[in-house]
Amino acid sequence: MISPFGALLGTLTRLRGVRASLVVDENDGIVVESNLQIGQDGDRVAALAASLYRKARLSARAARLGTATFMQLEAERGRICAAGHNDLVLVVVADPAANIGMIRVEMIKAAGALP
Amino acid sequence: MSITAVEAWVEAPLRKFVEEAHTILGLLLHPSGQVVAQFGFVRAVDVMSACALAAAIHASAGELGKQLEGKAFRGLHHPGRDRQLYLAEAATPRGTFIFLTVFDQESSFGLVRMYFETMVKDLVAAAPATPHKAEPVLEDRFEHELNRNLAALFGRG
Repeated sequence: MISPFGALLGTLTRLRGVRASLVVDENDGIVVESNLQIGQDGDRVAALAASLYRKARLSARAARLGTATFMQLEAERGRICAAGHNDLVLVVVADPAANIGMIRVEMIKAAGALP
Repeated sequence: MSITAVEAWVEAPLRKFVEEAHTILGLLLHPSGQVVAQFGFVRAVDVMSACALAAAIHASAGELGKQLEGKAFRGLHHPGRDRQLYLAEAATPRGTFIFLTVFDQESSFGLVRMYFETMVKDLVAAAPATPHKAEPVLEDRFEHELNRNLAALFGRG
């Protein structure tokens, strides 16, 4: 079966420093499709990142900031980025040294292409 | 949220689950329908009904799984309009339990499933080392034991 998200995730995963990319259902926190490196727990990342993105989106709306387009979490050993469209969230896990500008541009472009 | 347990060792893993997964109701029971612990329920009669239904659903799903795939289904997720239900099996050294939880938009299926897996590991770690002798549930004793457990949970002897 040809996946509708395979090419999109492949493009993101090929960016320097990207460890994992996933398409996640925002409401359920369930992986729709993923492209993971060995050792990544996709289910855990998906559940937590979707929950985080959902809360960030609701916070932006509550603060009358409009639609959330991109969320980035910086941690000691890496970053989690999320961009959503309708009920889907695109999640990327990246190294601290990854080119976050490039990742952001590609993610926003890819999120726009989500159904 | 108030958690009550018939067996004390299940309380800490259950409390951690409630705090992390933000679910509304939870029930840990034996596959026979005997309640072990609960949170979020107010009335004993609701626990009794939920236990009976959860045990029946688990048994039916298990049998359906065996007929379809040769092994029992272990988890069931039912999304409602406002609330969702997750029913799954937790295998521990003290035997297999059924866990039923209800959640709303404060949580998600992904989070509940993830924290459930953590809770099962916590239950396995917390299970007393003393071997548990599983006694068959006899029809004539079932109601007595059910009432005893409900009394322990809701403080009415």
